[in-house]
Amino acid sequence: MTDTPQTVYVVEDDEAVRDSLALLLKSDSKPVKTYENAGAFLKDYSEEMAGCIVLDIRMPGMDGMELQKKLNEKHSILPIIFVTGHGDVPMAVDAMKEGAVDFIQKPYREEALLEKIEAALEQDREQRKTLGERMEIVRRVKSLTPRETEIMDRMIAGQANKVIAIELEISQRTVEIHRSRVMHKMGTHSLAHLVRMVLSVKDLID
Amino acid sequence: MTAIASENSEVTVLLVDDNPQNLKVLYETLKDKGYRLLIANEGAKALDLAHRHRPEVILLDIMMPEMDGYEVCERLKNDPVTSDCAVVFLSALDDLASKVKGFSLGGADYISKPFQSQEVIARVDTHAKVIRLERELQARNRELVSDQARILNSISEGIYGLDENGVIEFANQAAAMIVNSPVEDLIGKNFFELHFATASDSDVCLPVMGTCRQGVAEHQRDIQLKRVDGEAFPAEYRATPKLDNDELHGAVVVFRDITAELNNERALEEARALVQEQRDQLAHTSRLTTMGEMAAGFAHEVNQPLTAIANYARVSGRVMAKENPDLSLLHETMEKIEAQSHRASEIIRRIRRFMKKPATGKEIVAVSTLLDDTRQFAEVDMRNNEGGIEVVIEDGLPDVVADPVQVQQVALNFIRNALEATRAAGSSAPVEVTARQCSEKCVRVQVRDHGVGVAEEAEEKLFHPFFTTKEDGMGIGLATCRSLIQAQGGEIGYERPDGAGACFYFTLPVAGAGTDACTAE
Repeated sequence: MTDTPQTVYVVEDDEAVRDSLALLLKSDSKPVKTYENAGAFLKDYSEEMAGCIVLDIRMPGMDGMELQKKLNEKHSILPIIFVTGHGDVPMAVDAMKEGAVDFIQKPYREEALLEKIEAALEQDREQRKTLGERMEIVRRVKSLTPRETEIMDRMIAGQANKVIAIELEISQRTVEIHRSRVMHKMGTHSLAHLVRMVLSVKDLID
Repeated sequence: MTAIASENSEVTVLLVDDNPQNLKVLYETLKDKGYRLLIANEGAKALDLAHRHRPEVILLDIMMPEMDGYEVCERLKNDPVTSDCAVVFLSALDDLASKVKGFSLGGADYISKPFQSQEVIARVDTHAKVIRLERELQARNRELVSDQARILNSISEGIYGLDENGVIEFANQAAAMIVNSPVEDLIGKNFFELHFATASDSDVCLPVMGTCRQGVAEHQRDIQLKRVDGEAFPAEYRATPKLDNDELHGAVVVFRDITAELNNERALEEARALVQEQRDQLAHTSRLTTMGEMAAGFAHEVNQPLTAIANYARVSGRVMAKENPDLSLLHETMEKIEAQSHRASEIIRRIRRFMKKPATGKEIVAVSTLLDDTRQFAEVDMRNNEGGIEVVIEDGLPDVVADPVQVQQVALNFIRNALEATRAAGSSAPVEVTARQCSEKCVRVQVRDHGVGVAEEAEEKLFHPFFTTKEDGMGIGLATCRSLIQAQGGEIGYERPDGAGACFYFTLPVAGAGTDACTAE
């Protein structure tokens, strides 16, 4: 899995606002991609898209809130900055509850918008980094054989080699060999580290 | 000698002669002929009998002692009770002079002695019939006259009969009441002098003069007439020439005091003005309410170009900060800024135009202008609708006469309702706005949606004040729309469409077709 370079995805129905915002971001050397409605973005969306979305909350057809819902269903982690108008605060609050990173009211000051975009991009970067690490752990866990997985679960549960050998009716020596393979495949020498790694991806494995 | 000889006859005949023999012969001649016969042998008795019994025919001897037949006749004619009796002279005097004298005194006929009984019977019969007919005619006439008087006196309008100089010949009770003077005092007075202060001015032309002098019928309202006591009152009158065989004999004037009527009219006019003022106020309030509901939308509309302008301005700044500024990009960006500022001011202009108060009044406008403006306006709401608004205007549609602000208010109301209903139904069908000519003098604008529609039981009440199907509605919108369209001379209504949704329409009169062009349909 390779993420795209971080891009600002602008979803805005108003041509002038879209065009001016794209020009502005480009002049600030940010990669920009624009969409004139929510549907077009949804069609283009893939998990590999990195960066953030600058999303107009009011649009004909599918509005910003609906797009956010659809992206949540797809487990998108792209941060969303909602662009709202005067009087849209209640909508913005709902959007925040749904996980939007921020919102900005039109007409906005460029600095404020760029700050929010920077923050969103930073958040995206970190999320992706964490996600990348976790995905690596998952990949390693998945590389274990069923017997190794079983041994690892018991190790994490704190069972001694002797106990594992008796319960699985295998020799203690065999347990030791499996144990060292697990540690090797998981890329660690410390049991404590192994426990922490596996617990961090528990939700992804189950 | 006096006697009532025969009692049961309808026609009474009085026989007068001083000679008993002659009386007897006359009596014999006329008895059993169906007459009631009275006899008198001298003038005084004859007069007395005649006065009491009013005989139709009197056979009167001329040569009598004391009072002769001529004198009796003269007295009979002078007594109103007996003046209509037919006096037939009986005399041996057969000369022309005595006959002429008899006729000149009012005699009806003359029979010479010695008479033939057949002649007497025939003449009495003829005169009796004539007199009876005459009396019946007079009785009928009297009845008629009194009927007419009753009618004239019971009419509440004043009636004057004037001669050609304006002298009052007749006045009814109502006339007397209105001008505050007894009828008797009015008769003989000059109408013009009585009722107009300026009557003495000879070259002034007063009402009714044209009718009296030239025979021209007149009708005028709110003319000041003077009562007998000098107080003036507003009157309406009709003057009709009085013609007899095409000859002008003055005028008949029918008039009434319209003081109360004028007061009522004024009160009504004031009430109407008040209603109009309140209606304008309500329409304006309703416009402001609509604006309030749309405020967020307007803010959004204005913020779009402002946001774009701010972005472009910042881009321009960046471009200029570079060592080798891209002048063509700069130029392009500046042009975009200009376009966006025009866009913002256009939106504000539209809002201002809609909020204008009071309404500007009617003018000749193109339906397409009205609807395009309204559509642009409604697009503020349309942002939340997928289907949008479709406006279809029939080719060659004539201009209409209307107050543009008021008509747009109605159209906007219809379109916003339609958008809301469409949204509520989750439909993506567009709101269809169509304008077509529905008759020679009338244009019809219709707003059709495919939304949630109107419940059947609500249809009738749609335009009633305070009726609403909306949770937070006041029930003012459509009621105001109705009064606005009625003020344009148009009609407004709802039609249940085939299929889902609703269809509202209004009509407007075509320019030059008159204000009742649509309602007259």
